[in-house]
Amino acid sequence: MCKILIMSIIILFSLKVNAQDEFDFVRKSTLSGYGELHYNVVEPQNGQTTKKFDFHRFVIFYGFQWNDKWSFKSEFEVEHNVVEGNKGKVALEQAYINFHYADWLGFQAGILLTPAGIVNEIHEPPTFFGVERPTYHSLIIPTTWSANGVGIYGMYKGLNYKFSVLEGMDADGITAKSGIRGARYNGHYGDGHNLMYNIRLDYSNVPGLLFGASATFNNARGDSTVVPWNLLEFHAKYEAHNIYSVFEIGNISYSDIDLERSFGYYFDLGYNVASLLDWETKVIPFVRYTNYNTAASVKNNLVAKDAYNFNKWMVGLSVKPLDEIVVKFDYAQEKNKLTSVKNTYWNIGFGYFFY
Amino acid sequence: MNKNKIIFSLFLFACLLYASGIKDRAFEIINKNYNSPKIEIEKFQLNKSLKEKIELEVRQRFYQDYIYVYKIKIDDKEEGFAFIDNVLGKSMPITFMVIFDKKGDIKSSAILKYREPYGGAVSSEDWQSQFKGKNYKSSYSVGDEISAISGATISVNSVSMGIKKLAILFSHIKNDL
Repeated sequence: MCKILIMSIIILFSLKVNAQDEFDFVRKSTLSGYGELHYNVVEPQNGQTTKKFDFHRFVIFYGFQWNDKWSFKSEFEVEHNVVEGNKGKVALEQAYINFHYADWLGFQAGILLTPAGIVNEIHEPPTFFGVERPTYHSLIIPTTWSANGVGIYGMYKGLNYKFSVLEGMDADGITAKSGIRGARYNGHYGDGHNLMYNIRLDYSNVPGLLFGASATFNNARGDSTVVPWNLLEFHAKYEAHNIYSVFEIGNISYSDIDLERSFGYYFDLGYNVASLLDWETKVIPFVRYTNYNTAASVKNNLVAKDAYNFNKWMVGLSVKPLDEIVVKFDYAQEKNKLTSVKNTYWNIGFGYFFY
Repeated sequence: MNKNKIIFSLFLFACLLYASGIKDRAFEIINKNYNSPKIEIEKFQLNKSLKEKIELEVRQRFYQDYIYVYKIKIDDKEEGFAFIDNVLGKSMPITFMVIFDKKGDIKSSAILKYREPYGGAVSSEDWQSQFKGKNYKSSYSVGDEISAISGATISVNSVSMGIKKLAILFSHIKNDL
């Protein structure tokens, strides 16, 4: 079967690869990018208030098109402005060669974004509510989740499909506090022994609505352990008639360790009130409810029940003078179910993307 | 023949089946909209000052300094015009077509070739049908008049602006066609 796959890919590449269409395709480079400035305030119930100004992300996408089918895409990121010692981060979050044979079939190889959830692959600031990315996208789906690997993708009658084979995860990085977040290699000498498999399906043929699901499987290797785990998630997004709504839910199951399950979901609802006044600027108040529990099920008293079970309410506002520019504000209260300790967050952000 | 050979043969057959070109696709869509049309193709050079004026109004550049115009005739009478142009997606051009009736109202629009791994949902006929009946005076606001598509933000904005651009262009050049 493996030989058939390799032969099929070679034949696919050789079919009409030099064909230029009749509309004068031009070889060229493209530059695009996004960035976000944040003002974050954290008011813990027990402890000192912190206030930070942070240019959280500066991202440049560079792309090159060799011909109608072959292209290169990359995303280079600087986080927190300065990279020095333990401060900041520079990362190549994507860098891959893409072969787009037809709408129904394409192939990519390089550093890819794991196709799980809505925000991991599409995360330009104007595309999501809240100054920071949803907490679900930190602790259940560990955004930004890059991995070396290959993928095939396509779309047929509104059904988008993608199958990826990616580097494995680090079993020693799996914790009750942050699930698989610490297990990512993000393309830095990723595990090639136990590869990670991801399959994703989305349906998008109803204007404004996208819904889909993905499944990710891996037997993560550590120094002396192997931890089989899988992530199953469902996502849906509706953006039409000035209504903006998102729902995502995900579950991670682990075997052979005391952590058995991580679970979370969130729901967003917003409305562009500027449409009532016929303004071009979009003014979208929104509300979000999140629940996440990275240790939803444990054995051998790994941690106390509900130690990492949090509920979070958020209200906020996104103002978009252009679709590519956003000014955001949000206010959130997060409560731990075990201790009932409440933390308050409020944030202001400015974000942009260009292409 | 074993199972693997059958899979391999089916794969090759499918690849060859879908190797049709942009022009074929354009003809196919025009033929769906008109009964036995005669089509004349013209490479239409854009006037520099008009091009710049429209680019400023729509906030999107033309991909090149010409577009393709397909004149659609039935019994030697002009019944409509199909404009074919490209807009830039995240990094690759998206080739699209807008068919106008004689007045300049959009009769149909379609993506002729999409080349990106994300955002292909802009090809959906349901999504494209939102442009039907619009013209150079219409609103093309994404999220309001035009539904957004999650995961296709750039393509949706690019294609919406591209269609608006051609609608405005039509209003300026209809007497020159």
